[in-house]
Amino acid sequence: MFDNLLSLMPEIGLAIVQTGVMLFISMCCAVLFGIPLGVFLYFTGRGQIFERPVLFRITNYVVNTVRSLPFVILLVALIPLTRVMVGTTIGPVAAAVPLSIASTAYFARLVEQSLREVPKGVIEAALGMGATPLQITWKVLLAEARSGIVLGITLTTISLLSYSAMAGIVGGGGIGDLAIRFGYYRFQTDVMILTVILLIIFVQIIQFSGNFLARLLDKR
Amino acid sequence: MIVLEQVSKSYRSKDGLISAVAPTSLEVAEGEIFGIIGQSGAGKSTILRMMNLLEAPTTGSVIVNGRDLTKCSPQELRVARRSIGMIFQHFYLLQNRTAADNIAFPLEISGVPKKNREQRVKQCLEIVGLEDKASAYPAQLSGGQKQRVAIARALATEPKVLLCDEPTSALDPQTTGVILEFIRDINKRFGVTIVLVSHDMEVVKHICGRIAVMEHGSIVETLDLSGTGQKPTTEIAKLLLGDRREALKGGVAYV
Ligand SMILES: Nc1ncnc2c1ncn2[C@@H]1O[C@H](COP(=O)(O)OP(=O)(O)OP(=O)(O)O)[C@@H](O)[C@H]1O
Ligand SMILES: [Mg+2]
Repeated sequence: MFDNLLSLMPEIGLAIVQTGVMLFISMCCAVLFGIPLGVFLYFTGRGQIFERPVLFRITNYVVNTVRSLPFVILLVALIPLTRVMVGTTIGPVAAAVPLSIASTAYFARLVEQSLREVPKGVIEAALGMGATPLQITWKVLLAEARSGIVLGITLTTISLLSYSAMAGIVGGGGIGDLAIRFGYYRFQTDVMILTVILLIIFVQIIQFSGNFLARLLDKR
Repeated sequence: MIVLEQVSKSYRSKDGLISAVAPTSLEVAEGEIFGIIGQSGAGKSTILRMMNLLEAPTTGSVIVNGRDLTKCSPQELRVARRSIGMIFQHFYLLQNRTAADNIAFPLEISGVPKKNREQRVKQCLEIVGLEDKASAYPAQLSGGQKQRVAIARALATEPKVLLCDEPTSALDPQTTGVILEFIRDINKRFGVTIVLVSHDMEVVKHICGRIAVMEHGSIVETLDLSGTGQKPTTEIAKLLLGDRREALKGGVAYV
């Protein structure tokens, strides 16, 4: 029953690497753009120090829209953008473009939520000491919400892992794609089982390290 | 030291403007401990928070240390705020920083070099008697200890003024006494002008020289508590000062 697996070993190895590439690129983007976006949503929101109802509503709307599109649709809709950005529409790097956009929107929302948990009084106390908005962002908001943000990264990574299964549509490859191509279309149950086990292990590792780090950082 | 000139604050709401503080003037002299007392919703916090412009007055001006804060640029206001410390009922410490790092925070944001910071943090920990808790996180401290860290933090930049919003309202009576002693001590030793808001007359009687009594957004009476003792004239002041018999004689249905 496991004879498929041996011959597929190189494919499986490649799939793991492809998943790694997709996750790495899109998580870098999520952190790089999602944090500023989350901070922006937080500050411009209702009752906050830089309340800007119109700007907030537009940004909020864009983030919601990205989040409400089924990932497959986003993947296909973004093909022209992907071509402009990476020169090709196939492969894990190309798949990372829609993945990055989806994960940035998702993570930004999680960042915004964690920032809301910082008591307003703490921010006021810092304002009263003469802190600049930038100092408040770094030294108060992000520093106080850091364990929530780590959990947000964990959650986003796990969502990405399942999104990345659809990357096969644009030839992105990866573990999920392997499961669909061999396990589903060719009825190779052993491949299906192996990929599922791999995915379970990955999710466990990500969740466990995320929880561990969050606990380590949380002094509240 | 602090001059409020006809300051008022109103909030916009569904049913029009709500006035939190009616045009009010107030002067706090250098080196005094000034109390503001009144019932919940009287506008005490609003008036206190105007003194460092955490609450921008709708009208009027706020002059602290000779500077009109309402006319300052954002940068000037930040600099001015470094000489105005503030403590709160709920402490508002940074939970992810140790006591020492909390005290270092105002120094950090005003660009004091690390070496001087450490020195000043040590001094401030000594002032509030918490040398042994330097590396404890707020979650590991009692309420009284947290307030002492907050006081040390407020003192770090050697402010001229310390604003206290119900600093003992979350504490038990014994701890309240300890905190009030620290506040009095800071006033005596460093000449810091103190404004203390409370709804509890006992607290105010304990350390304040002069007090303002607030009701419905206005100061209805200013009293000197030191020396012979001025008698309160308004009903609310009599009530708050615990002169209940007089208040009842006046036909007031509080209690
Ligand atoms: N952001 C706000 N929006 C609308 N109304 C407000 C706002 N802040 C304060 N108020 C109103 O202003 C009035 C004065 O509030 P303030 O907090 O100064 O009272 P206080 O005397 O400090 O009361 P407490 O003893 O309960 O702290 C209250 O009636 C309150 O409802
Ligand atoms: Mg209050």
